[in-house]
Amino acid sequence: MLAYIIRRLGSTVLVMVIVGVFVFMLLHLSPGDPAAIVAGDQASPAQIAQIRERLGLDDPLPIQFLRWASGVVQGDLGVSIFSGEPVLKLIGERLEPTVSLTLTTLVFAVVIAVTFGVIAAANAGSLADRALMGFSVLGFSVPVFVVGYLLIYVFSIQLRWLPVQGYTPIAQGLWPWFERLILPTIALGMAYVALIARITRTSMLEVLSEDYIRTAKAKGVASRPLLLKHALKNAGVPIVTVIGIGVALLIGGVVITETVFNIPGVGRLVVDAISKRDYPIIQGVILLFSAAYVLINLLVDISYTFLDPRIRY
Amino acid sequence: MLRSTRRTFVHGSMATAGALWLPKRLRAQGAGGGTLRTVMHGDLRAFDPIWTTANITAYHGAMIYDTLFALDESMTPQPQMVSQWEVSDDRLTYTFELRDGLGFSDGSPVTSRDVVASIKRWAARDGAGQHMMQRVKEIRAENEKTFVIELEEPYGLVIDVMAKTSTPLLYIMREAEAETDPMEQVTEFIGSGPFTFNRDETRQGAQYVYDRRDDYVPRDEPASGLAGGKIVKMDRVIFENIEDSQTAMAALQAGEIDFYETPPLDLISVLEMDPDITVEVLNQTGNVGWMRLNFLHPPFDNVKARQAMLHLIDQEEFMQATFGNPEYYNKCASNFACGTPMENDANTEWFERAPDPERARELFAEAGYDGQPITILHATNIDFMNNAAQIVAQRLREIGINAELATSDWGGVVTRRAVMEAPADGGWNIFITWAGGASVGNPIALAGHAANGRDGWFGWPEDELHEQLRDEWAMAEGQEGQLEVARKIQENAWEFVPHVWLGQWVAPVAYRNDIQGVLKIPEIVPFWNIERV
Amino acid sequence: MSTVPETSLELRQPRSAAGLWRFTRRNPTIVAGATILFVVMALALSAPLFAGDPLSMTPALRLRPPSAEFWFGTDHLGRDLFARTLYGAQISLLVGLSVAAFSISVGLVIGLLAGYYRRVDAVVMRLMDGLMAIPAILLAIALVALTQASVFVVIVAITIPEVPRVVRLVRSVVLGVREAPYVEAAVASGTRTGKIIIRHILPNTIAPLIVQSTYICASAILIESALSFLGAGTPPDVPTWGNMIAQSRLYLGPAPWTIFFPGIALAVIVLAVNLLGDGLRDRLDPRLARRM
Repeated sequence: MLAYIIRRLGSTVLVMVIVGVFVFMLLHLSPGDPAAIVAGDQASPAQIAQIRERLGLDDPLPIQFLRWASGVVQGDLGVSIFSGEPVLKLIGERLEPTVSLTLTTLVFAVVIAVTFGVIAAANAGSLADRALMGFSVLGFSVPVFVVGYLLIYVFSIQLRWLPVQGYTPIAQGLWPWFERLILPTIALGMAYVALIARITRTSMLEVLSEDYIRTAKAKGVASRPLLLKHALKNAGVPIVTVIGIGVALLIGGVVITETVFNIPGVGRLVVDAISKRDYPIIQGVILLFSAAYVLINLLVDISYTFLDPRIRY
Repeated sequence: MLRSTRRTFVHGSMATAGALWLPKRLRAQGAGGGTLRTVMHGDLRAFDPIWTTANITAYHGAMIYDTLFALDESMTPQPQMVSQWEVSDDRLTYTFELRDGLGFSDGSPVTSRDVVASIKRWAARDGAGQHMMQRVKEIRAENEKTFVIELEEPYGLVIDVMAKTSTPLLYIMREAEAETDPMEQVTEFIGSGPFTFNRDETRQGAQYVYDRRDDYVPRDEPASGLAGGKIVKMDRVIFENIEDSQTAMAALQAGEIDFYETPPLDLISVLEMDPDITVEVLNQTGNVGWMRLNFLHPPFDNVKARQAMLHLIDQEEFMQATFGNPEYYNKCASNFACGTPMENDANTEWFERAPDPERARELFAEAGYDGQPITILHATNIDFMNNAAQIVAQRLREIGINAELATSDWGGVVTRRAVMEAPADGGWNIFITWAGGASVGNPIALAGHAANGRDGWFGWPEDELHEQLRDEWAMAEGQEGQLEVARKIQENAWEFVPHVWLGQWVAPVAYRNDIQGVLKIPEIVPFWNIERV
Repeated sequence: MSTVPETSLELRQPRSAAGLWRFTRRNPTIVAGATILFVVMALALSAPLFAGDPLSMTPALRLRPPSAEFWFGTDHLGRDLFARTLYGAQISLLVGLSVAAFSISVGLVIGLLAGYYRRVDAVVMRLMDGLMAIPAILLAIALVALTQASVFVVIVAITIPEVPRVVRLVRSVVLGVREAPYVEAAVASGTRTGKIIIRHILPNTIAPLIVQSTYICASAILIESALSFLGAGTPPDVPTWGNMIAQSRLYLGPAPWTIFFPGIALAVIVLAVNLLGDGLRDRLDPRLARRM
């Protein structure tokens, strides 16, 4: 087990190197000149050229890459081209909202989705089953931003129940923090609910049809709740897998949700940075997201051993 | 609610305590309170208002830096940091004295050395500043409080240039920062303005925090435009960055923000109906939509093709497409925007007839247009630019011109417009932007008014007579004299067509009704004088 | 792992009306999804016959509500939303189908090679892991924002992050089949590698890939709309549903029809593709459910 984890961590480093090189090449080989953007509307071409030179953007690519990479190895992601602030600090400031939103969404999605999935599986073929599954396909099919605007329109502007936008740090109280996360969580969670509910239902049905459950049923020993408990436990593996895959989906959704609800998270940081070609920030955030993705999938793989004793590494 | 009340109380009592032991502070700032949350037109990306000419950074500058002169409500320059000044009889020597009580937020006093260094750094980056510097023999600090500008030849615009509100503004920094290479960003943001920049609570890309400076000494005159006493009545002003305008609107309606600088004009009617919200035009000269034509490459290296564009454009539809409500826009034929002192109607017969697609077609034919593609840079993330580029393309296609949209975000346009090569090699033929009406009204202040070829602004128009006339304008005496030259410039400009204007609009701001004292001035939104009632 | 599923035979054209009816009853989702898709495609392709010009703009007629003249109303540039919604189907389907086709073909080739040749496998799979670790939407935004926006760039930008998923799928199928007795027999009898891959391995990948392609298609249409929403999508003059919604989001209150029609269209087509995918999966490869 330990050897497995170490091996996986090793390959994580390799993956990060690949991501780093790829992103660096992508950014620096494509057209786009931060100097022209930073100089502002009134600057002349000659001034732009001078700024570009001062920013070191005229240096040969390998040199620029080595400069950046050697920093990264020492834990320094560089500074923003625009504000001169360290990228690590900028990401640090933005991490709490993104992590909060991700966690509330995960909890929301898993709770709702597993409930839906179990109800649907227990009543397979019934009207409830069809309605729930129909709803879950729909959750897949409507874009996050459409859901977001609808929620704002109904709950914030018409009913005035919840705030429109923004983020309150958890240090300022649990409710103020939670209040602003409710709508974004629902908007972002929809697709996720759909995904997990479907998987839960399918794996439940498979488990329910397995022999030992049938036997238990035939003997009349098992009550329905007990059956569900057994089945749910065995259905854990595919559900966890989906969560692992879903992290990628979630990260994509976070970017959009943060824009709609104006949450000052990492997703917006990187979208802003892309539009102004602030290379160090883009590179830093993508590295971070990739690392998160790889590590979460590692955790998912490890959690299999707890959920299903048959799996060993 | 409770929190903000307590903060008000704490700050209030601190201000009172200050007043007891430092008489200066008594005068300095009135008792005030609370936090003002605002959403401005864009994200504050860089903090050095000389290094970048971005408007939002100029706003940031107005919070933390002070200026030597400032424009009042009627656009007349008034002394701000300067107490008195005089010009010698030969109009060659200007002597300025700084007023008492000026200090930077680090506690050090403002000296004329700071001023001289700041002027020099600014002049290296500012078009109008460069224009002035060509005639300047020397700028020197006479003593702690006095500095002198000596000219080679008389120049009528010394005070106007130092007071102008188009970017970059002449903000006074400490000598230490002002010595920084003008092409590199300063790293400390310490000014002598009415606010300090709170970097600890600032979250880049999310919120920018400014705290009231209790030791700032305002002038005695009432506030007017950027001139007069800058009395800060709030404890704190926050620029929140809400990118999505739908979200910002909703936030204003729900009272989560107090002030929204650029509500989309299409939705103004919704805000006007809201009893809690005031909609007001602060900047009466507004903005002018601007189409730049590339002089370096066919077809717009040919004057006929450029004239064709004048005839093709119907300003009405460009305005309508983005701003909807006719209350807030108008068509304007003047090269110096409408509502400015330089507005005039010289050589505008074409405007009476526009749009005249047939004439445009003929002119393109006379220019020898041969079906080559015309590349229009098209920024998608800014509504006006997005819509205008699409309309230009459509109208060109309708007269048989092979218009191609090169679509990207504004960052892409800004990058590509700097490319001088042919459109096929990464260059361009047309791009669209806008400029502040007040700047457009000044042939020197706006970099884009220059027609000095490759040294000039994007599009690189070249016309000798135009340049001579601009110099003449700078030397002209009085507004009458300037207007006369401005007519000549325009007479000539609508022959060689340095660019095409796409209409003029004013952008109202919207704020909660409990906010009072918003100052009216083009190009900058000042946050002193504002209070919550 | 799956071998050639016999059930796929049933997918062949039913010969009689009764057969068709039986097929429908057994596979309601496939039929529903396919029917909707077919109707949308037919409408999209026949758009020039009865819809106006989706590009012509008349700002004087902006934001008109649905009427006899403009069935779906007009947008902020005074363009006909009915025409744009119909033509939008062309582009949205083009994006969805091209992304599915490109990512499946590229992924198939890489996946076959990686699954078959162990040496290629190590290198390729690390590269794929790296690519997969980059959030798809960020990669796409960056690609579109940094180059020039066009339908083609958007297709490429959405395709790239999908490829590794296809590669993984194909590779897992190949790894499963490679050890199968009939493949080993073929290897032992000296059959050429190319022939083995095409004859014995490729067919096994078809069923899962068909299912996978529907999901890719649906998600590509959604990602295109998300990119447009973030201002890094297809050029705004090109009518796509994502574009139309993104550009109209300001008018949700005053002119809801600008969002309503493309929004419904988008949801319906994604729904149809997803239904089709679900149905095909149940039909072709029930076990795939566990792997997705």
